[in-house]
Amino acid sequence: MLPSRNQSQLVTKTIVTIFIFLICVHSRSSAADYSKFSHSTQKHRAACNTCHKITFPDITDYPSHDACVSCHRPQFFRGAKPPICSVCHSKTSPRDEARYAFRKPPTQLQFAVEFPHDKHQDAIALLRFAHPPQNYNNCTICHASRSATFKAAPTDHSSCFNCHWKSQEPVAANCNGCHKLASAPYVPAESTRKSAKFVHEGGGEKKQHVAECTTCHINITKSSSLRGLKPDVPITACTECHNKVGAREDLNKELLAIDKNRSFTCVYCHAEKVGSLDPPASHYLIAERPPLKRKDIK
Amino acid sequence: MKLSFVALLLIVTVALAQEPAVKQTGVLRLRVKVKADDSLPLRGLARKRFFLIPGTLEQNRALVNAIEQQQLTTRDCYYKQHGASAELINWLKDGDCESVYCRSIEKDFVSGPKVVPEFASAFAVGQKEYRDDETALQWLTTNLNPDLRDGFYKDRQRALETLLKQGGLGMIQSVMTDRNGSAYFTDLGPGTYIISNVIPTELGQTLATWNCEVQVKYVATETPYTISNRKDKNVKCVAVEKPKPACD
Repeated sequence: MLPSRNQSQLVTKTIVTIFIFLICVHSRSSAADYSKFSHSTQKHRAACNTCHKITFPDITDYPSHDACVSCHRPQFFRGAKPPICSVCHSKTSPRDEARYAFRKPPTQLQFAVEFPHDKHQDAIALLRFAHPPQNYNNCTICHASRSATFKAAPTDHSSCFNCHWKSQEPVAANCNGCHKLASAPYVPAESTRKSAKFVHEGGGEKKQHVAECTTCHINITKSSSLRGLKPDVPITACTECHNKVGAREDLNKELLAIDKNRSFTCVYCHAEKVGSLDPPASHYLIAERPPLKRKDIK
Repeated sequence: MKLSFVALLLIVTVALAQEPAVKQTGVLRLRVKVKADDSLPLRGLARKRFFLIPGTLEQNRALVNAIEQQQLTTRDCYYKQHGASAELINWLKDGDCESVYCRSIEKDFVSGPKVVPEFASAFAVGQKEYRDDETALQWLTTNLNPDLRDGFYKDRQRALETLLKQGGLGMIQSVMTDRNGSAYFTDLGPGTYIISNVIPTELGQTLATWNCEVQVKYVATETPYTISNRKDKNVKCVAVEKPKPACD
């Protein structure tokens, strides 16, 4: 049976309406959002110094107006509050020059840094306690104390340019030598304590935890990249002092406490959540005992 | 048909019930103790890079021979050959430094009685360039002659690459010893390896080379594998020492 003329018109009208609706939705969704800046955009992938003029002494700052206006003149002068201004400025008004602190948002990064610890360990990072008057270069050049628990990582170029300003590659003008565009903007993971309660500045009155970093962080000297780098610390780094028969026996004491009460939580070194798990085989090995599971203890 | 379906179902169920295989790896704890001369006590060899090469000494005979027969320029000879002043050579020696990066260059070394001529010239260039004494001092190495700045390090890296990029070598790990002469090789499969410093270590008037065969098991070894340039009951491998060659 053929559809009536009214029915055909209704179908045609519906299709046209849907088509117009889809066009509207598509055009709206594909309109560029000029309040957001991405280095991944094809046209933002030119040489870094197209926008970032390397100025002494540092370049961690927003580029000047020229960098934007050269391509975005229409967006730059659109209305009283052009959205493009909000990439750098806290108020989108031609009369207010106040800018966000570099970078916005403060934690979101568009580039990952390549840093070969192994090469830097070879060239610098000595710590010779035998020669106290001499100021040896070491990890603290870049990693100062952020808190008693964690060390800080460099956030600007000052620790790099001491050596890499010129001649020593990657030099200041070779941004790509260290900065690689990340596949998506990311927020670097905040350091948190999951397992050990170690305090770098601790170790009693004599502050005996203040030692050479690589004694405990055993994989730093072999890492050629920051990718996959973990703060690996073997238990022997702790038990050299904390499990000496006749002196401190902190590990032995806690393993014995588990023998007596399988629900015992190891809290001398560990955060509670980790301290209630089965001690790993490495801990029993140090105590010269066969490994045990809590469930097997009667 | 029904039977094979049930069998297949059983195999899949058993396979899924298996716990995922845990990757077991071994650890090797290295300790290097040396005497630069017999009047001194044994001490940890600090800040030296060691390599772990898969295979036995026999399997790596060509590499071991190449390591033992290489003709290397010593640190002092390198700097002399590249025109370093006696003051710079002494500054490096005083700190047991292989390059200018190992200790900070203080004001005392850019002028006055302890001046190192190379540092004074680089500082003067920096003063003009940066118009700030503090920056000129802090960035001093950027104005040094590259041969004296990192030429020795690059020379050593080239020698390493030539030796270790030979075909047939497996995955090579390297670590640097800490100030006590200790270092860890981690994530190791079980088997036989060679511990080598590849580039001879300068100890007083001799060059020491280690090529030691070691077995790695799946369990972490808490007893260190001790190597030295002197024999001792705890020492598992003794270095081959040769007198330092004279400078050309």
